[in-house]
Amino acid sequence: MRTPPPRFLRASGRSLLLVGALGVARAAPVPAPLDFGRDILPILSNNCFHCHGPDDAERKGKLRLDTHAGALGAGKSGLTAVVPGQTAASELIQRITSPHDDEVMPPRDAKEKLSAKQLALLTRWVEQGAPWGNFWAFEPPTRPAVPKIANPQSPIGNPIDAFVLARLAQENLAPSPAADRRTLIRRLSLDLTGLPPDLATVDAFVRDTRPDAYERLVDTLLDSPHFGERWGRHWLDLARFADSAGYLNDTLRPYAYLYRDWVIDAVNRDVPFDRFTVEQLAGDLLPNATLDQKIATGFHRNSLKNDEAGADLELDRSKAAVDRTATTGAVWLGLTVGCAECHTHKYDPLSHREFYQLYSFFNSTAERDVPAPRPDELADYQRKLATWEKERDRLEAPLRDHVATLVGPPSAAWEASLSRPAERWTVLTPDEITTITEDDERIGSPNPDHSFTTGARDPVRTRYVVKSPAEARAVTGLRLEALADLGGKAGRARSGDFHLAEFSAMLKTPDGAQHKLEFAHARADFETKSAPAKGTLDGDNTTGWSITGRTDATHVIVFELKSPRDFPAGSQLYVELEHRITGVLTRFRLATTTGALPLTPDPRPDELVAILDLPAALRTSDQALAVARHVARFFDEPGKKLLAPLATHYAKQPEFPKTAAPILVAHERKTRIHLRGEYQQPGDEVEPGTPAVLPPLQRRGPRADRLDLARWLVDPANPLTARVTVNHIWQHLFGRGLVATVDNFGLLGEPPSHPELFDYLATEFVRLGWSRKKLIRLLVTSATYRQSSVLRADLQERDPQNTLLARQSRQRLEAEVVRDVFLASSGLLNRRIGGPSIYPALPAFVLAFGRNKSWPETTGPEKYRRGLYIHLRRNVPYPMLATFDASDASLACLRRERSNSPLQALTLLNDPVFVECHETLGLQLAARPADTSVAARLAHAFALCLSRPPTAAEAAAMQRHFDDQLQLAQGDRKLAFVAAARLIMNLDEFITRE
Amino acid sequence: MHDSVSFSSRRKFLMQACGGVGGLALSHLLGQDGLLAAPASAGGVVRPGRTHHQARAKNIIYIYLEGGPSQMDLYDPKPVLNQLDGQALPESMLKNMRFAFLAKESARIMGTPRTFKKHGQCGMELSDLLPHIGSIADDICLVRSMHTDQFNHVPGQLLMNTGSAISGRPSMGSWLSYGLGSGGKNLPEFVVLICVGRGVPGGSASWASGFLPSKYSGVMFRNEGAPVLNLDNPSGFTAAMQGRNIRGVAELNALRHAEVRDPEIDSRIAAYELAFRMQSAAPELMDLSGESQATLDLYGVNRTEPKIEGGNQLGGTGLFGTFARNCLMARRLVERGTRVVQVIHASWDHHSRINTDLPHNCLMADQPIAALVKDLKQRGMLEDTLVICGSEFGRTALGENRPGQRAVTGRDHHPNAFSLWLAGGGIKGGQVVGETDDIAWNVTKDPIHVHDLHATILHQFGFDHTKLTYRFQGRDYRLTDVHGHVVKKLLA
Repeated sequence: MRTPPPRFLRASGRSLLLVGALGVARAAPVPAPLDFGRDILPILSNNCFHCHGPDDAERKGKLRLDTHAGALGAGKSGLTAVVPGQTAASELIQRITSPHDDEVMPPRDAKEKLSAKQLALLTRWVEQGAPWGNFWAFEPPTRPAVPKIANPQSPIGNPIDAFVLARLAQENLAPSPAADRRTLIRRLSLDLTGLPPDLATVDAFVRDTRPDAYERLVDTLLDSPHFGERWGRHWLDLARFADSAGYLNDTLRPYAYLYRDWVIDAVNRDVPFDRFTVEQLAGDLLPNATLDQKIATGFHRNSLKNDEAGADLELDRSKAAVDRTATTGAVWLGLTVGCAECHTHKYDPLSHREFYQLYSFFNSTAERDVPAPRPDELADYQRKLATWEKERDRLEAPLRDHVATLVGPPSAAWEASLSRPAERWTVLTPDEITTITEDDERIGSPNPDHSFTTGARDPVRTRYVVKSPAEARAVTGLRLEALADLGGKAGRARSGDFHLAEFSAMLKTPDGAQHKLEFAHARADFETKSAPAKGTLDGDNTTGWSITGRTDATHVIVFELKSPRDFPAGSQLYVELEHRITGVLTRFRLATTTGALPLTPDPRPDELVAILDLPAALRTSDQALAVARHVARFFDEPGKKLLAPLATHYAKQPEFPKTAAPILVAHERKTRIHLRGEYQQPGDEVEPGTPAVLPPLQRRGPRADRLDLARWLVDPANPLTARVTVNHIWQHLFGRGLVATVDNFGLLGEPPSHPELFDYLATEFVRLGWSRKKLIRLLVTSATYRQSSVLRADLQERDPQNTLLARQSRQRLEAEVVRDVFLASSGLLNRRIGGPSIYPALPAFVLAFGRNKSWPETTGPEKYRRGLYIHLRRNVPYPMLATFDASDASLACLRRERSNSPLQALTLLNDPVFVECHETLGLQLAARPADTSVAARLAHAFALCLSRPPTAAEAAAMQRHFDDQLQLAQGDRKLAFVAAARLIMNLDEFITRE
Repeated sequence: MHDSVSFSSRRKFLMQACGGVGGLALSHLLGQDGLLAAPASAGGVVRPGRTHHQARAKNIIYIYLEGGPSQMDLYDPKPVLNQLDGQALPESMLKNMRFAFLAKESARIMGTPRTFKKHGQCGMELSDLLPHIGSIADDICLVRSMHTDQFNHVPGQLLMNTGSAISGRPSMGSWLSYGLGSGGKNLPEFVVLICVGRGVPGGSASWASGFLPSKYSGVMFRNEGAPVLNLDNPSGFTAAMQGRNIRGVAELNALRHAEVRDPEIDSRIAAYELAFRMQSAAPELMDLSGESQATLDLYGVNRTEPKIEGGNQLGGTGLFGTFARNCLMARRLVERGTRVVQVIHASWDHHSRINTDLPHNCLMADQPIAALVKDLKQRGMLEDTLVICGSEFGRTALGENRPGQRAVTGRDHHPNAFSLWLAGGGIKGGQVVGETDDIAWNVTKDPIHVHDLHATILHQFGFDHTKLTYRFQGRDYRLTDVHGHVVKKLLA
């Protein structure tokens, strides 16, 4: 065993590099000391753990190799797998090297086979005493010393370069020279903003002789508001963001964009990644959570939802919680957490139970939509409201004068004619009201007066379940008020009617017992022959109560209990209102009474009844006016006349903006393990918790919640989050991650190519306060980033994947950015940031195959907005984006493919959006001053598109192309220039970041 | 990782053999060999054109009748059904059953007006709605014992077409194109032909490539005009100008390649050439003038469609011609090198009006489907072309009494037992596999799960379904997840 001679290497680095570069000879590889976590564990996990790993159910021969004790102990055969230092006594070595088919491991029919190198490594490991250790990714990163490089081959921009150069020196490879300035500014602009630099900016940068010209450019681009769009879009891939719910109905999510806007804004404000995390996973649980922090929880509202009629709602809810669990694991921990949904993870230390402990955080979560009007909508609403109020006041004045005349004797006369209800009602104060339709189940909140306003578009077959605390002795009945506001109707049918099919109630006492309340009678203040009140209690949901002909007033129905019942303190009352035909109630409120039977259905508001209870002399003037107003409204002809225009006016009250943010809220639920991943097969109950292999979770209360989980993820003690995030960011700037398997930091993943650099960056990220911008600044100012991406002959052979970073990587642009460079280079781009998604024109046949066919085409300047604003409908992906490998938003997309296909060629050549770009640029060329030569025009377009002038050969080729096209176009110069633009915009370089 | 390395060294070998720089011959060679567009970044394992064993099938035409056609009205004769008409099912058979719509407490068995007759030498019993398919009975293998896990359309379709009820997995066609890895011809490898009718609930998920590179995705062809999106040049651009443009792009790209030496540029050049070839191949494909009148009549391309009272609620009307043309187009595609064709029609989801809408759908589909099998056979193409006709599940023996519905005129979704058939591509025709109980409720013999069907299909293409994998998010995914057995009974 030789040790590496670093001194020698350093001294002779230069000559070795030259030899390596010429490919004539290469220095013999120096065996590095074995590192268990890096060298041995991945072999064991990949090849052995399936049968000899953490999963008890799959274990063969009673042997487990994922623990030290297991490896050193005896299996079922009695033989010992690993005897340190003795390969002959180690059954593991004997079996993996066995020539016999029935003995050899892994078995002959296994998918994996050990390579000669792996066999040698395992043998050497046993020889070296079989040292054990932990897997690198589960150990916290430690900050390594920055290597010192003598005679570096390229400038050391920052510590990144020291690590990279040290590694290259080991491999006898030289780094590549820096890219030229035009390439650099184009690369940097595309990487940081997703937009190409304009010509003037390129020229200014090329001429900028200040020593920190590059750093200044970096800062300018980091400050650009388009930075948030570019890096926000990267994040949206992880968030599986889309504008529809998927599955059969693919229901649109018209306000999903609020979350996209939040992301863009948070990235632009450089919200530190720890806060960025906490707000998205648990913004709703933060003390005094702001609307913005709640909108951030939209991250997990991007799960798919199956609202197909007849679908299993509980299954779908549980699948959404599984998705949220798996996505959280993939995005923050880089682990394939989802593998443990059905069984203990085959490779990583994550048990089936631990999966459901994580799941429990998301199981105890519900979905809400909260009003979130945009500032422009709000301003518009307030303007309309002010106008409306002014008109209301104008109409009110004569009424008010008239009402004043009714105070006193006229009211008293009316009052004298009244019979007064004996009972008094206590209004229920519900916590939540669940709206259940065939397609959906959602939870809503009551109004301040404890009434509930149903959804304007709730279908006729909707059930409302009201959950309310209740405490009273000897309750005799319940009352339901079907409220009609002035100018409004009591029901949502077009006629203003409703049909309450069934009314039922259940009392849950503090001991957990559930008692169905039995009603004897239902009585309404008004009913029709065909739809009487009693129909609500007969168990037949085709019969019920309606108010046909009297829809513009509040009506009341009372339900008498068969016998009085106590509601002990701490009880919950659940009342269910089932609708079936005609329409649902518009707004309703519930109350209980202990009054004597029979109960009176009295539509007069409680407030009025309370005033009537007072002797006239004791009433305030406001109370007296309230009584007079009631008289004017219902019992006084002149009053009714004055009220009529007011009622019409109330019907025209401006609506509050509908924009509502999809967010998460806490909703306690018990979690049981789903045996084999099936929710209908519940196993043990589990509490929220995190995997034992990672540092312990700190919880604020008796039961951990999402906020605890989020804070645990971004605790610097967590070995994964900073590493995983640094890797995501690195990948976008260098083409691949330092851990190439960006989606897997587990045992089946690849080890980091530069472990010390990786840990340096992970610790540095935390030290920089989790600042995305500062980390990116560090990365892009390195000499490593600035290298040329030319594929050197030696690298093509030695390192085609560019693992060693001896050059930059040349990358095709992402789908959205392909669109952006077209629009930007032709001058069509609309740079407005944020807001609702756009619908660029689509051929009808693309939409025709889906069930959701509406596509309100965007016109005018809006249609030239950036690719990230295109409406993403899961079942009908926008063809151009799909063709260029955009994420399909079904799962978190941690790494996009970069395919290269004929359909891409057809898209760039003939997609109407791009054709318009060719034309626009071509016509600009044709319209340049008459004395401009064709060559100059072509060179101008070339520079506009590629940020560099053409070479002589390129210029000549373009000229030949132009001449030929001019001839083919029979002298149509405009068409020939469009053809030239079409040529340049179809070059590989145009859609590539070099 | 292992395979990626050998892949890149293969490409490297080709590069060297061809002299390196951006030659068109090189890109052509790469294209034909299926090496184009392999992901340059780390990720899944690409196995271009490498099978695990001798393939029996080279092509697949997959006719997908969306919605769940009724097996007891088409494929699985159940005389007992009419005797039990109007009776309830025993509680034991309903326990643990879940339905999309029907109320199981009050549902009653519904008989069928259909009559069944024996066909072919094998004596396969088929419904009076399928006379033409009856005429190919000796070529098809009818499976009466299919079963699935899903009773809603989208999850059912996802399972049937992607092997998983969860969105985001590659479709079966994508797995096949990935495994076959040929490409480089004049038409896409995987083409989807749709007869829209009511619309396909799962949208493009049934032919999408999921986490596989997008080039393995099915390409939806339009039924008229230019079949592929963006196939037509902008107005004013003649074919000659387009050709000159493609040449110019190649020329300038080659110059850039000489500078930066990125092999992706070669792929780009080849992709443009292929796109250009596709521009002339696709219109040729769509042009039926070369087909004989006999062939057109066989498929019934110009049939007149009978009127249906109240219109066809689900399958749509006016589609007789389109469906027939799509079946013919499937053969023409396979002839021209496309390996995977999916012919889709929606819908067969007969919750109501089953006795008017189902016959109409059958009248549309029966003749062209049978014609396709006959035509393939005549031309000697059936041997290596696997034809499948199926859906995501079957229908209930119980009539659907969905609350609020006025009359019981249809059947609900039924995952426990359903029928489909296969032909060609090494499948043993003239046989019926599997049996169900007296009311086609449960499978009583030779159950075949969707995963088993997938395993068998891959097997016919020379793939071991446990070994055709792609690594994504740290896991080796396969079409059959962790399930599936090749059903030897189906094979010749």
